[in-house]
Amino acid sequence: MFRLALKMLLGDRAKYAMLIGGLAFATLLMMQQSAVFLGLMSWTTSHLRNIRAPIWVGDAKVEQANEVKAMRDTEVNRVRSVPGVDWAVPLFFTILQSRLQDGNFKPVMIVGLDTATLVGRPALMLKGRLEDVRLPNAVIIDDLAVQRLSAGRKKPLEVGDVFEINDKEARIVGICKAERHFFGYPYIFTTFDQARLFSPKTRKMLSIVLASPIKGRSAVDVAKAIRAETGLAAYDENGFGWATIWWYVRNTGIPMSFGTTILLGFIVGIVICGQTFYLFVLDNLRHLGALKAMGASNFTIATMLLLQAMTVGVVGFGIGAGLTVLFGFGVLDKGMPPFMMPWQLPVGTFIVIMVICVFAAVLGILRIWKVEPAIVFRG
Amino acid sequence: MNNGATNTNGNGYTLAVHVRGVTKTFGKGEAAVQALKGVDFDVRQGEMLMIVGPSGCGKTTLLSVIAGTLEFENGEIDVFNHSLHSLKPREVTAFRKRTVGFIFQQFNLIPTLTLVENVSVPLLINGVGWREAEERSAAILAKLGLAGRERNTPAQLSGGQQQRVAIARALVHEPRMVICDEPTSALDKDTGQQIMEQLRDIARHPERCVIVVTHDNRVFKFADRMTEMEDGRVQRVHENPERISEPLNH
Ligand SMILES: Nc1ncnc2c1ncn2[C@@H]1O[C@H](COP(=O)(O)OP(=O)(O)O)[C@@H](O)[C@H]1O
Ligand SMILES: [Mg+2]
Repeated sequence: MFRLALKMLLGDRAKYAMLIGGLAFATLLMMQQSAVFLGLMSWTTSHLRNIRAPIWVGDAKVEQANEVKAMRDTEVNRVRSVPGVDWAVPLFFTILQSRLQDGNFKPVMIVGLDTATLVGRPALMLKGRLEDVRLPNAVIIDDLAVQRLSAGRKKPLEVGDVFEINDKEARIVGICKAERHFFGYPYIFTTFDQARLFSPKTRKMLSIVLASPIKGRSAVDVAKAIRAETGLAAYDENGFGWATIWWYVRNTGIPMSFGTTILLGFIVGIVICGQTFYLFVLDNLRHLGALKAMGASNFTIATMLLLQAMTVGVVGFGIGAGLTVLFGFGVLDKGMPPFMMPWQLPVGTFIVIMVICVFAAVLGILRIWKVEPAIVFRG
Repeated sequence: MNNGATNTNGNGYTLAVHVRGVTKTFGKGEAAVQALKGVDFDVRQGEMLMIVGPSGCGKTTLLSVIAGTLEFENGEIDVFNHSLHSLKPREVTAFRKRTVGFIFQQFNLIPTLTLVENVSVPLLINGVGWREAEERSAAILAKLGLAGRERNTPAQLSGGQQQRVAIARALVHEPRMVICDEPTSALDKDTGQQIMEQLRDIARHPERCVIVVTHDNRVFKFADRMTEMEDGRVQRVHENPERISEPLNH
């Protein structure tokens, strides 16, 4: 009977194509938009992966990783004195304008690392030596900076080249790899002192304190201790990441706009699939009635309809997921738009698609359930 | 009234179908239509019985209740020792599955399935394996002159050929009762004759019965007995004076 069910389904080319198309489109909308959303959310926490430290301490009012509220330099020492803290170093962070050869200005994110320890250093150097960042005017730029800041030059920026940050000369001593940030600006790593030289003078010039717990204490615990002792906002790395993501969810329209599109995908799926499948059942009412007359139980018929609906679900999902992955490969190369697909995403989308299909099948089952098999005698 | 039935009842015929006092009403209140107003009649094993009567007199309704496709209110129906009036819905479904073969006016073949698949349906419903079902279906299609066309679809056939496929489907699982509602009314005269002839040759069997509702007086001659209905009742059952077939059971 199940083979018959599938043949009946495939035999109705138009509806089959419509069902597959609708479900593939719904899958694509839901999955692609979710992946871009997740990618975008991961961009909001890029600092945590580009500047690595177990504990992040900021001004009491800091709620998320992209918010900088300057503190007094002495706060580093207060953090150091909290029991459980192994080490604590200052970090300076600011956004400055860089002047390009063609006369344009581009914003860049300046990260000033503790000169002695270079804690928060880039994870991967592509060219040059990290230690050279201690030389006068030295900076390490990321690969995005090479792209962005080379405008107007004959050759892309290289180690040894010089450019301007806030009217001051910066010499490239290294090129590193960095994850792209939500703001879309390149990272420029330098030392804490050099970074302050690039920036306009202000009274407070400490942005963040990076710290580590002593062996045997967890970062979560020690962050809590720092918070209690100093009144500063202290987070462990993971907690800071989630705090950041939740901050964007609460305070921006991003989840709303993506959520709307994802919901739209769900609605498109349920409407197209539900309606087309119901029409399919109506078209086949006579034949399904004949099957009932010939002794097929309601249970058998229901199973046939479920099988048909699930089949279009699996095929439609397969096509939609395939298209999403193709899209993903296309954009991951370019880095735009953001794209992130953890395994939960296809699994979740598959479940949603199956729910849509079961819903469609149930509509049809309710219709056929009540049909008297005697309708087959009526003209 | 009911002369044929009462006479033969005592004359050593084995009954296939026994119907007493059956009523069926469609709708409720003002709009209610009583389609069957206390039907009594019998069908013998081995016979082809025709039900005739004016349009709207309840022939299709009667077939539907005998076949177990429609519930009825009062009365008793026994079909080959199945008492439909006391079966649960699930048992009625099982009864239809094993005991009844259906032939409809509109053929009711599934257009997206091949002929052999269409014919296989009752076997598959009865749990026969795919391969065996197709073999048995191909064999009966060949018997009906459709050898070599097993993989065609219904749309590639003429009306007469489609009705032959429907006959094959009605008989493939060897049901004891074959039910036909106006099997020839969608066909031209010659085709109708051929179809009835084949139906008689293949379906008529000492341990079965074939019940045919028809308007078509050109096929009356294939009947063993005639049942005349009028206004929801059986008026008369009689031996067919025009019959051309030898009786199977005496
Ligand atoms: N499903 C139904 N709902 C309401 N009335 C019906 C239904 N089926 C049949 N009837 C009525 O029952 C009567 C008998 O119908 P039917 O058995 O189809 O007659 P026949 O087959 O002899 O033409 C008619 O008056 C018809 O209108
Ligand atoms: Mg009728």
